[in-house]
Amino acid sequence: MNLPKSASVVIVGGGISGCAIAWNLANRGVKDIVVLEKDTLANGSTGRCGAGIRMQWGAEKNCRLAQFSVNFFENANDILAYERDIEFEQSGYLIIAANEAEAQQFRKNVALQNSLGIPSVFLSPEEATAIVPYINATQFVAATFCQKDGHLNPFHTTDAFAIAAERLGVRIFKHTEVTGIEVKNNRIESVDTTGGRIATHIVVNAAGGWSKAIGKMAGVDVPVYVQRHQILVTEPLEPILGPMVMGFSYNIYIQQVPHGSIIMGRSDHTEPRDFRTTSGWKFIEEMTKTCGTLLPYLRTAKILRQWAGHYCMTEDAQPIYGPVPEVEGMYLACGFSGHGFMLAPATAELISEMILGEPLTIDVSDLDIGRFKRRELVREQSVV
Amino acid sequence: MENRRITDHPILDFSEGEVIPFTFDGKPMEGRSGDTIASALHANGVKVLGYHFKTKRPRGFYCAIGNCSSCLMVVNGQSNVRTCTEPLLPGMKVETQIDRGVPDDV
Repeated sequence: MNLPKSASVVIVGGGISGCAIAWNLANRGVKDIVVLEKDTLANGSTGRCGAGIRMQWGAEKNCRLAQFSVNFFENANDILAYERDIEFEQSGYLIIAANEAEAQQFRKNVALQNSLGIPSVFLSPEEATAIVPYINATQFVAATFCQKDGHLNPFHTTDAFAIAAERLGVRIFKHTEVTGIEVKNNRIESVDTTGGRIATHIVVNAAGGWSKAIGKMAGVDVPVYVQRHQILVTEPLEPILGPMVMGFSYNIYIQQVPHGSIIMGRSDHTEPRDFRTTSGWKFIEEMTKTCGTLLPYLRTAKILRQWAGHYCMTEDAQPIYGPVPEVEGMYLACGFSGHGFMLAPATAELISEMILGEPLTIDVSDLDIGRFKRRELVREQSVV
Repeated sequence: MENRRITDHPILDFSEGEVIPFTFDGKPMEGRSGDTIASALHANGVKVLGYHFKTKRPRGFYCAIGNCSSCLMVVNGQSNVRTCTEPLLPGMKVETQIDRGVPDDV
């Protein structure tokens, strides 16, 4: 398959965001869309992520973005006419508060979430043990729970968007790397790739960890950095965990996938800011210590393997959405800081609306690239 | 059952050690000192060690080095024991595993 000479929109990045944006635009009738992926689909952060989705956020915007995405995922197999299954399991998220200060914040979070129609509840440790039976209730002071949160298969979900997009005429080029972006009079003219040049006036930068490099090709400084995040997976076990368990002070998220394996991860902000995806001892020691304290019965579960992927971080751990002032035609959908997978349906909706000049379903005008220069950062406390 | 004990091997030497009694799914069996659980079962003619939790297809002795999960069994009530590398001890209660198993305390 040869690259076309021109395209109405070129989307850089074949992860969940790029594929979802491509489908969304095509579904609105846009023709001649091209997706460029330097490796294989979902090879970057998407295919390495914890694949959870929660509506339990502390900032209203994040609640709304996640709520939109949950509603989409609930019907995604039908909407995308996917022959397989994205495996969306709404087994809930139990989020634990390690101290009174966190519990206070959680009370506010639940009040906000409930006001938006998100069915979360505030629980005592005893009530939490009714949902996750083997959790060590002495290790937290309160918890919140939302049954509608859950997790899904990141490979199938990306596949579902990609197949649906191609059915609508989108052309996806794998193993095709962007090598340059031509800008004339502050407007994008074309994209150079390892497979040739494509003339276009619109580029969507959904390149995850590589979005900074893509921005630079057009002379745009995208204020993101890349950091390794590690995960491990155990042998498959009978269903014993129930919902995703998450703690911010504890720095842990842990879930049991339908196959039976238990997946767990945590963050380490001392990690160097580079593209390494190796696995390390420090992670496995800290992870097993935390997990063994909170869920002691998992101490005997055998670890099969660990892996790593990137968080594409911004200063306020919020995504960057929308056009850039310096270069006409470049739209950013990056800097998701670990939440790009769960937000993808909302991302796709909003970026499509921006490109087509339609009113935004959710007002994300304050998540623009300009907020960093204006020093108007968006604060969200509830992140791992 | 027929005796399938390996006595002749191009690299390894096997000594006829002391008899170690154990049970397999309730049936009394005998192994020898130096046996792993799986080698003792093999010597006793047991070929099916477990069943895949989803397909329910039988699983047998395969990699023999603790890698492949084909020999996972329930030993003294503990599931997911890699019987090909776990030494046989007197009185062990070895059972066929039919599900994914659970951690010890559950």
